[in-house]
Formats: sequence, C-alpha cells, structure tokens
Amino acid sequence: MNDMLAPAAPLLDPITVEVIGASLSSIVEETGEALIRASYSTNIKERRDCSTALFNAAGYTLCQAEHIPIHLGSFIGIVPHIMKLHPVGDMRPGDVFVGNDAYAGGGTHLPDIVLAEPIFVDGKIAAWTVNLAHHSDFADRGHAHIYQEGLRIPPVRLYREGALQKDIQDLILLNCQVPRERLSDLRAQMAANRVGVRRFQALCAKYGTATVLAAGERLLDYAERKMRAGIAAMPDGTWRFDDLFDSPEIAENLPLSVEVTIKGDSMSLHFEAPDQLRAGLNMTYTALLATAYYVVKSVVDPTILPNSGLARPLTVTARAGSVLNCVHPAAVNGRVQTCQRVSDLILGALAQAVPERVTACSNSCCSVATFIGTRKDDGSIWVYLETMGGGAGARAHKDGLDGVHVHVTNTSNLPVEALEIEYPLTLMRYELVADSGGAGTYRGGMGMRRMYRADADCRVRVDVSRLAGRSSSWGLFGGAAGGHGAIECGPGVVFDHDSAVLKAGQWFALVSPGAGGYGPASARDAETVARDLACGAISPAFAKETYHETCPPA
Amino acid sequence: MAQWRVGVDSGGTFTDVCLFNENDGRIEVWKVSSTPDDPSRGIAQGVEEGMLLVTPDAGASPAAAVSYFGHGTTVATNALIQHRGVKTGLVTTDGFRDLLEIGRQKRPDLYDMQADKPPTLVARDLRHEVPERVRHDGTIDTALDEDAVRRAGRALKDAGVMAIAVSFLYGFIRPEHERRAMEILHEEHPDAFICAGHDVAPEFREYERLSTVVLNAYLGPVMRSYINRLTPRLEALGMTATPHLTQSNGGVIGFSAAADMPVRTVLSGPSTGVVGAQAIGALAGFPDLITFDMGGTSTDVALLKGGVCKMTSEAVVHGYPIKAPMLDIHTVGAGGGSIAFVDVGGLLKVGPRSCGADPGPVCYDRGSTEPATTDANVVLQTLNPDYLLGGRMAVRKDLAKASIARLADQLGLGVMETAQGIISVVTANMARAIRVISIQRGHDPRDYTLMAFGGAGPLHAARLARELDMKRVLVPRNPGILCAMGLLLTDLRADFAATRLMPLAASSAADVSAAFSGLTERAEAWFVHEGISTENRHLTRTADMRYSGQNYELAVPVPEGQVTPAVLDALAVDFAEAHRQRYGFVAEGEAVQLVTLRLEATGRVRKAELRAYPMEAPDASAAITGARKVWFPEAGDFMDTPIYSRDLLKPGNVFTGPAIVEQMDTTTVVLPSMEARVDVYLNLILEVVA
Repeated sequence: MNDMLAPAAPLLDPITVEVIGASLSSIVEETGEALIRASYSTNIKERRDCSTALFNAAGYTLCQAEHIPIHLGSFIGIVPHIMKLHPVGDMRPGDVFVGNDAYAGGGTHLPDIVLAEPIFVDGKIAAWTVNLAHHSDFADRGHAHIYQEGLRIPPVRLYREGALQKDIQDLILLNCQVPRERLSDLRAQMAANRVGVRRFQALCAKYGTATVLAAGERLLDYAERKMRAGIAAMPDGTWRFDDLFDSPEIAENLPLSVEVTIKGDSMSLHFEAPDQLRAGLNMTYTALLATAYYVVKSVVDPTILPNSGLARPLTVTARAGSVLNCVHPAAVNGRVQTCQRVSDLILGALAQAVPERVTACSNSCCSVATFIGTRKDDGSIWVYLETMGGGAGARAHKDGLDGVHVHVTNTSNLPVEALEIEYPLTLMRYELVADSGGAGTYRGGMGMRRMYRADADCRVRVDVSRLAGRSSSWGLFGGAAGGHGAIECGPGVVFDHDSAVLKAGQWFALVSPGAGGYGPASARDAETVARDLACGAISPAFAKETYHETCPPA
Repeated sequence: MAQWRVGVDSGGTFTDVCLFNENDGRIEVWKVSSTPDDPSRGIAQGVEEGMLLVTPDAGASPAAAVSYFGHGTTVATNALIQHRGVKTGLVTTDGFRDLLEIGRQKRPDLYDMQADKPPTLVARDLRHEVPERVRHDGTIDTALDEDAVRRAGRALKDAGVMAIAVSFLYGFIRPEHERRAMEILHEEHPDAFICAGHDVAPEFREYERLSTVVLNAYLGPVMRSYINRLTPRLEALGMTATPHLTQSNGGVIGFSAAADMPVRTVLSGPSTGVVGAQAIGALAGFPDLITFDMGGTSTDVALLKGGVCKMTSEAVVHGYPIKAPMLDIHTVGAGGGSIAFVDVGGLLKVGPRSCGADPGPVCYDRGSTEPATTDANVVLQTLNPDYLLGGRMAVRKDLAKASIARLADQLGLGVMETAQGIISVVTANMARAIRVISIQRGHDPRDYTLMAFGGAGPLHAARLARELDMKRVLVPRNPGILCAMGLLLTDLRADFAATRLMPLAASSAADVSAAFSGLTERAEAWFVHEGISTENRHLTRTADMRYSGQNYELAVPVPEGQVTPAVLDALAVDFAEAHRQRYGFVAEGEAVQLVTLRLEATGRVRKAELRAYPMEAPDASAAITGARKVWFPEAGDFMDTPIYSRDLLKPGNVFTGPAIVEQMDTTTVVLPSMEARVDVYLNLILEVVA
C-alpha cells in the first residue's frame, strides 16, 4: 500500500514517529470529544456509545480512539465499501459518506451509522476521518432478517463538496423514530469530522505530508512487530474451547467453539457455530474480526497501538452462513451479545496457553434495556437504550472487577439525573448483586441490578444472558461460575421472551450476570472472605456453603 | 507598620517562605524543613524566622508587620495520594450506595485486563442507604426517613468514622433532605466532619458529585485540624492579617472557607507554582512553557501556551473525579523523597512511597534505611555529599551508599549503576507525566521551554529535557521557593457561580439579572473582606450555554450592566458564533439554554516585581567556588566538575557543562554538551549545544 510514497519517505527518528503517533491518537480523541459534546441523544452525549478513527488512503486503520472496540468492525468495513461503490477520482474535498449496512456498507448493525470523509492535502486524499455513532433508534422492530431491523444505507454522499444532500437526509430521517435526535447526532458527527480534517491537515503542515504518512506506515509496522514479538513469547500449540450461548430472544442454546493455534509469531483462530439464526444475534465477519483483534491484543500486549498492523499476524476463520460469519439477509441487531460470548471463548482457549494473562469468564454479555413510548404532549416517539456492566472475570492473582463493562463494549451509564429528566422512567435501584461473583481463590466480579419504574405506559425489550438453567459464566482452574443473569418482574409485568409492556407505575429489574472465579475457593484467604462477608459482597449462607466460613457473632 | 506580604508554600519536605516589602520592593526568601506530623509548626517557624530576618527588632510579635498572608499547601493532595484521609461514612439515597464503586461502569483500562480502579474511599459497610427521593422537578416522591438517618448516624459513630458525606439524588435542586440529614447526623455524631452535595458541588450528574463530596469528607478533618493548629500559631506571632489559602484554580480563599471545602484545594500547592511560573516566564520572554515542579513527595507538571494554563471545571485527580474549578495540572506521586526498591518481578521501582521530611532520606541520618532519590543523587555527588541547604544540614553519604549497595546486591549491579538506575527510572516516570499534558493533548514538547522548580526540579531537569528532546531549560532565580513567590505575584481571585437552567429568551432577562446581582453581592462582600479598594475591583461575567438537548456547555462572556432582552439577543448571537467555531455548525431555530452563570472577581494588589540587572561579561569563573567529582553515565565514571555558586552568577555569564550550580534552595545539574547562561532577571537558561 502507498508504495508511491516509499522512495520519497523521509528518514524518521523514533521520537518523530512517536510524536506523530501520539498526535494521531490525540486527533481521534479530540474528534470523539467534539462528537460527544455537540450531540443531543443520551446515548452519545452521556453514554459515549460512539467511536472515531483515522484511516490511511488505502483504507487501513491508522488509529482508533479508545472508546468501543466492536466499532472497529464497522470501521474496517466502510472505507473499502466506499471505494468499491464510488470512484476515488470523483471524490472532492467536502464529500462526506454515510453508511450503516451490514452487507453493502461494511457495518455490523444498522443503528451504528458511520460518517466517513476523505482528507485532502495538496489536492490528494491523504487519509480518512471516520466516526461512528450508535443512533438509539430503529426500536421495536423485528429480527427475522435485516430488512426488519431498520433502514439499510449503503455508503452514499450525505455532503457533496460541503453541500448537504437534503433529499438523502430527509429519506434517512423519515425512516427514524426519533428524527430530531438523529438530525442533531448527524450534525455532531459532521462536527467531529471537521475537527479530524482540520487537525490532520495541520499535522501535515507541521511535519510535511510525506513525513506524516511515512510515520503512519511505521506505526502499522511497529504494531505488527509488537504483536509478533508477543505471540512468539507464548507457547506453540493448538487449544480448543467450547461454550453455550443463550438469550431470551431464542429458545435453544447454541454450541460455539474455537480452536486457537499459535505457531511461531502468528496466531490463527477458527470458530465453529450453528447456521445463522432468524434472530438478531448473528455476527458479520467484520464483527468477528473486531472481537478477535480486541481479545488477542488484550492478552498478548495491551499496549500495542490500535491500528491495522496488529492484525497482520492473525488469521480468523468461521464458516460463511454460520452465526459467527453471517451472510445476507441475516439479522444482526444484537450481535454484541454473541461478540461478548466469543471474547470469553477465546480467553477460555488461551487460558490453556497463558493462564497468568487471562481472566475467568466475564459476565459474557452486554445487558441491554431498550424502552419505547409516545410522548403525551406532542405524540412524538421516544426511544431510550442503555447497557449495563456486569462482573469481570477473576484474574490469576486478583479478584475480578465488580460491575464494569467488559470486552467489546465500554459505554458509560446514563446518570439517573439525566435519565429521569429526559424519559418517563424512574430508576429505583442500581446496585451490585451479593453472591454473584463466582467463588474462587480470587473471586469473580459481581453483577448488577438496575430496577426501573415506568412513569408512563411504554414497551421494553431486554438483552441478557447466562440465564438460570441455560448456561453459566465459567470459572478457571477450580473457580466456580458466576451468578446468573435475570429479569425480575414487579406485580403485573409479564415478559414474552425478551419484551414486555409496562403500565405507568409498574416496575421490573434487569440483573446482569456475575463472573467466574479463578482457582479453588478453598484456597481463598480467610481474611478476604471475612471482608467480603462484612461488606455484603457475599451472604452468610454463601460464605458457609462456599468457603466454610461461619458468620461472626452479631 | 504592616508592610510585608508573605507567601508560604508548605510541601511534603520543605516549607518555603517568601517575603515582599510593599514599600520598597525588597524580596527575601527563607526555607525550613517541613514538619509532616503537624505542618503548622514548620510554617510558624518559617514565618517567625523569615520575619525576624527582615524585621530584626520586632521582638515578641515578629509577624505584626505582615499585611497579607498567602499560603499554598499540599496537605490535601498528599492525604489523597497516600490514602491518608480519615475513616469516612456515606449516607445516600436508598438503592444507590454502590454508585461510589460503580462510577460510570467503565473499566479502568480498555485493553489491560489486569488494571484496577483506585480504592473506594468509603468501605461498602460504611455506606448507608436511607429512604428518600426527590424528583428532577423538585417535587418529593418519598419523604426523608429521619429514623433511618438517625440509625445510620449511630452506626457510623459506632464504627468510628470521623467524617460523613451526604449525597442524595437531586440534592442540588432541592437540598432540604440533605440539610435535614446533616442536622440529624450532627446530633448523632457531633464530632464528625459532615458535608453534603448541595454545598460542595451543586451540579447535576450524581456520580461525579458523589465522588466530590466523599473526597471532601475524606479530606475534611485532615484540613480542618491543620488549619485549627496553624491559625493560633500565626496569631501567637502577632499576625493580624487574614490568612489565605490558594485553591486549585489559582485563586485564593480565607482559611475558614478552605476548612469547609478541602476538595477545592487538592491542587493548592501546584496551582501556586503555575501562577509563579507564568509570571516569570512572561518576564523572561518564554510564554510557551512546560512547568516541572518536583518536590520531595510529588511532582506537578502543567503546560502554558501563550502564558495561559487551561482551566477545567471537572477533572480526575489521582483516579477520583472532582467537580471544582482547577488549573489543568498533572501530578505524579514521585519526588526527591521517593523510595527506591526492587519489586517482586525483580525490577527497580521508585515511589510512590516517600520518606517525607521525617525521617527524610537515609543521608539525613534520622533512622531511614531505604534509599530515596535524594540518596542516589548524594552518592552520584550531583548533590553535595557533605551538606545541603547552603551548609545548614550535614548529610551522610556513607549511609546513603550503604543503603543503595543493598539494592545493588538484590539487582546484581554495581552501586553506581544502581544509583544512576534510580535517576533513570525517575526521569522516565517524569517524562511520561509530561507526555500526558503535551503529546497526548496535541502539543509537541519540543516547542516548549521546560521551567524547572521545586527543590528537586533543577537537579533532574536537564536529563528530563534530553529524554523528551526539549532544547531549553529555564531555572528561575529561586526555584525552591517559586510556589511561595507565586503567592506574591498574583492578584486575589475568587470565582462565584450559580446553576440556573433557563431558556435564552427575553422572559429570562429579569432572572438572569437577579442571579448576577446575587453573585455580585457575594463578590462585593468578598472584596470588602479582603480590603480591596473600589478602584482595584474587577468583575468578569460569563454564561455557560448550550442548545436545549445538549449536555455540555460553551462559555460566552456577558457584558457589564443590566441584563436586558437586547443583551440576551446579543448572547444568542455570540453563542451561535462560539458553537460554529467549536463544532462547525449552528442549529438554526433550536432553543438555547442558559445553564450556569459565572462571576470571576479579581482584586488587584501590589505585586512583587522582579528586578532586571545590567548585563555583565560572559566569563563566569568568578562564580566557581570549587570542584568535585560527579558521576555521569555519559562517562560511566566520575568527572571533575566545577561547582558554581548561584548567588555569585551575574547576568550575561555563560559556562558549559558538566557543571553543578549550588544555591540554598536547590542544585542545578548542567550536563556535558549543554551551555548555561544567566539572563537579566538572574534566570539560569540551559540549552543543548548543537
């Protein structure tokens, strides 16, 4: 790629490469900040469910902001799709492409709308600034196939030489349930791209375009070298791991497995899964890649730069048409649930190779509640989506983290004081769940309970997993499984699979799963058990049963 | 006659006193060892000795001639870094005691699964939930269960807490429940320091507010007992001026206000240094600065572009979110007193544990046996191996060397390599801190001058600059007391704010006027309290605004005078322009909200003025007071190195490294391949020779 640069590439000292690399990071962080600050929807402005990145002219990731790992899936797809559909020679400064489709747009699910803009320096495309916002819309839809899930947008120009293509925007907004938020979030995405363009051009002005682009190439090589060195330091071999996937959306449990092979300085991951489902839980290949890259980087060396160089030593395969590599027209809205399970699957295999570096199974899903209702005053639709953390897996020498987002997601909660002012909902409790951390020498992280009361009639749909009687977040090396995910219903509330109607005044709670423990519970330090007991992380009954600890006299 | 303005910076290791005569512009400095078990002793001693130096005939009331007393302290910072606040309880809304731990539910590091969150400052069993619920519109959903509060108060008292934080949902909108809970808790536990969200951080977002209140409680008794000890000591010296303390925003407040709001002073000491650096940098002609303030216990770095340090209204300090106005300063828990050790993995680590001033490093011979950074410098002889503080304190190099030899044995290295290794680890840690405030924010450190101060800054600055490829280091004339001097180089400042969510519409004009009047009244009262005459009072007003629906605001200046509908129209235009500049678009026809109204009050005071001296010849040999062997890794050996006296260096003097410059409050290392020159303000400027 970019071989025309090779002869002109200036000699680069390591400090210049480092400074430019850090500048690229600061550009993507700054574009992310602009997106968050200018947006209106709670999902962006508070929960930060968005990502930003820079790509080189060939479509390879130069740098991704540290927001949401799964968004890389959409990023690695979109620029090649744009170039496939639109001749590069026809692109002009100020052209901005919008896209979201899983099959014609490189996306991983339809709410993740990407805005991509080529950055012109001296009349040529030097790089791309790309950002993704999870638009909390397309709610209360079906998931038998992708046509039910929302508007499919192939990459098309939303702006042409800086001029808004209003007919395109109108078409998009008419298909959205909360058009005012969509409009403002699209504007915020534009604001972010403007920052990206301006800052990248300034960087080129300061160091020279050739130097910046050459440094970009060096950074890809550097990430590759670090990844290879890290893999080479791990033992060679092949390790297999099996798990079950469960969701209230589907009645059956899905068997999933991975075979990880380390050979020298490269690694291959081969997945097996059943045929794709008539449900929104399928993963596109780019989603599978983003998930695998995330886990491998975390285990091999978390400090490797998040650019496409790290992917070079990795091979990822899964049968086309299976849940983990779906094809048109499979529905994909809830793919993050499957991605989370795949993350733990990879950890389970790598635990056999590098037991010190992995964690036991995390809460292994991304618990979601999506509310939809109609506002009394103007009849407009409101949609509120939020995700909940859960337990993180216990580690070789430490307990797992309680109540955090794990793996491919990392969104903030919405402050109660922002939630209740925007939606007719009251949050009654938000707490860690006692006894949900899997017992072990090191305890798994605790799951959470979030209890909602509807203050007006509305509908709710949830995602949760590791349900009682279906599957568990496994422990490692003798550690016990974490607590189950659950839906707890107040009087009169009945869930049909994953959905329920809530009348004003009714409540329900979503419980995210706990995580698995590491090492046998019998080896847990007695003082630590006593501390867990004193602070209520475990109940006296649990302490007695699991750790043979008796309750101190009251 | 009161004529001396006195600045005191109390660090973890030394207490610096700077004295400025308002009548004739004379500046004097004095330095004493800090007394960490009770820092007020060291401060009183420093003030007494310093004032006796300038007013030898003052007799039993040496501080009677003090007209202004300004103070920057690291009491709160150090308590936070070392988790030495008090045992603290929390009373919060039913269902939300875990919020303190959950935070925003994000993990501490996106990729590193071994990363941990900072420790939660209130243990889970000391976090009590009480039934109560206020709604966002200020109505009451569930009345406060007063018995539950009472039970919580008793339980917390029995558990031995010394402070209680009260933070309820929407307490900033309707504070009655929090106020009543505070009353009840006070009845049940009268000795506890009690504070609540509506007082400490009356803004929305419950977690960040909760974190701020809990920190305030955790630090409250520490700060209160400090001030309660210091005030009578100063009075006993005959001081009648109101003592002041620097806040994290660089402004100053009276002692009593500081005792109630310690969370606003966590960057007190460091912000004072930034203010001092700003003044000296502007004078010396270097407005683009990275400040490097290395003390005994901690190090602070900040970036000034065009002489201005960015202000933030919320920051994460040592892992804890704080909602308070602060200068954008990055702090690391490492300094000259940081202890070096070999970790379980066999690697050499330095800090964050510090020997502090007592017992101090091994070379002080006060009982410490674990080598600190200072001990490494003594062994390398970059620091004087016989005495420090201009001869006032003898040091024991033999003890320092023996302690480092023990580490060297563990590492399988030589003693000198180990001593140099300690310096290399410290330098790398400091470079990382500077990357955070420069490279990570899009600034190339090579475009900046490194201003080194604090007792240990000039000792390490040259190596640090080389690590970051920075070309120039500026060491001010009195680097060890720059923070203390900063207190005398700045105007008095206080910020007042009111959060009032209102539409930007003609109908709001009267309310905006009324809110600003309220703020102005508070500011005027502050001016009177500070004794600022009318012509020296200055007010600037801003309004934080956003489009209705956004959650982040842009600050727009508000002109003086009555706020009329026409003024609001002008604000709308200015907001649109600010939005266009920041985000590149204007949302035509969208409603705009006023969120927070702010008033910045500045009281102009007579400031210390630095004198420019006439340039003299380049030859610096007259300032050489001796020579000693100093170990340089460049040579892998000791090199004969001239020792210059800072006091004897004249403007215009030029000399090359290797060299050591000694002065009472610090030692400057000039590396081989560097040139040093003295400017007209007696700043020492080191530059890499091309």
